[in-house]
Amino acid sequence: MTSSRNKALTIFVWLVRLALGGIFIFAAWSKLKDPYLLFAMAIDNYKVLPQWAVLAVARTLPWFELLLGLVLLTGRLPRISSAAASALLLLFFGLMVRVYAKGETIDCGCFGPGEAISPATLARDGSLLAGALVLTGLSFRRRRPKSRYVPSPIPDGAATDQAHF
Amino acid sequence: MKLPVYFLLAVLPALASAAEVDRAKAFGNPSAPLQIELFSDFQCPSCRALHLDQLPFIMRDYVNTGKAYLIYKEFPLPMHPHAREAAAYACASARIGKYDKVADVLFQSQPSWAENGKVYETVASVLSPADRKKVQALAKDPSVLGEIERDVQEGQQERINQTPTLLVIRNGRKYPIGGMLNYDLLRRFLDDLISK
Repeated sequence: MTSSRNKALTIFVWLVRLALGGIFIFAAWSKLKDPYLLFAMAIDNYKVLPQWAVLAVARTLPWFELLLGLVLLTGRLPRISSAAASALLLLFFGLMVRVYAKGETIDCGCFGPGEAISPATLARDGSLLAGALVLTGLSFRRRRPKSRYVPSPIPDGAATDQAHF
Repeated sequence: MKLPVYFLLAVLPALASAAEVDRAKAFGNPSAPLQIELFSDFQCPSCRALHLDQLPFIMRDYVNTGKAYLIYKEFPLPMHPHAREAAAYACASARIGKYDKVADVLFQSQPSWAENGKVYETVASVLSPADRKKVQALAKDPSVLGEIERDVQEGQQERINQTPTLLVIRNGRKYPIGGMLNYDLLRRFLDDLISK
């Protein structure tokens, strides 16, 4: 019973990780294919950073998203990657909610230019955030030796499934 | 054989008319390295800010210097009840070469007519009595209304979903820029595009 539950959970975690990894890679590609100043203008519209920081974020964030997407896809560093994804999505979602609550219509900047913040973009990013938070929760929980998902002590070198979270 | 001829006869006048209107709503050198299409809504506050605060700089630095060809496109949003009427008067005034004058007054007085709905009175304030009559008649002309619809459809095809949106075109590649603009960043972006 516990074993089948573990399997289902492992599959679920992999699916969430693959989805998040793929989306982060797509988000990075959609920004890197255009001049970085286009993304800089989208960031500037949020009005939270001075211009030097806007330019720095526009140059580096897509590469960070690419790296994070690749790490999520490979399953390496499960705690760090899921926590980083959660933190990043929490930041994006918070900024988008703030802008939407103020009644402003600006470019989301999520997947390149030309997408205004709307209930649909909020629902999409909210779902991604929920997925990332679940992934983070599970990756930390499964490391506990007496967790109900890991009922018995695991011999050294046999915990291969854990390494993939 | 006759069919293509009939088709051309039907289509050519419409194309000629559209091109004529485009010229009346376009500024600068048509063979400039950059083409900028501005999708705008006369009742949208951000469009007003762009028109009054940033557009003069774009005109000064890019349009008047032959670096960019600017084309106005109407994109009245359904949430703005007087936007389509304002666009109709603006397009009608383009037919008599007064688009920029009417666009200016519509944006300057936007808070007022958006509130009281006196769009025609606002437009009339910058026109001579003879031009007022022409514009009033043209604003109901199906070809003018069709022109607005064409701009809207073009915007939808470009997946434009907010106003104002600048569609910057360089060597066939299109870069949409939506929302409020930081002119310094826009200038760097346009200069970067031109230098490529």
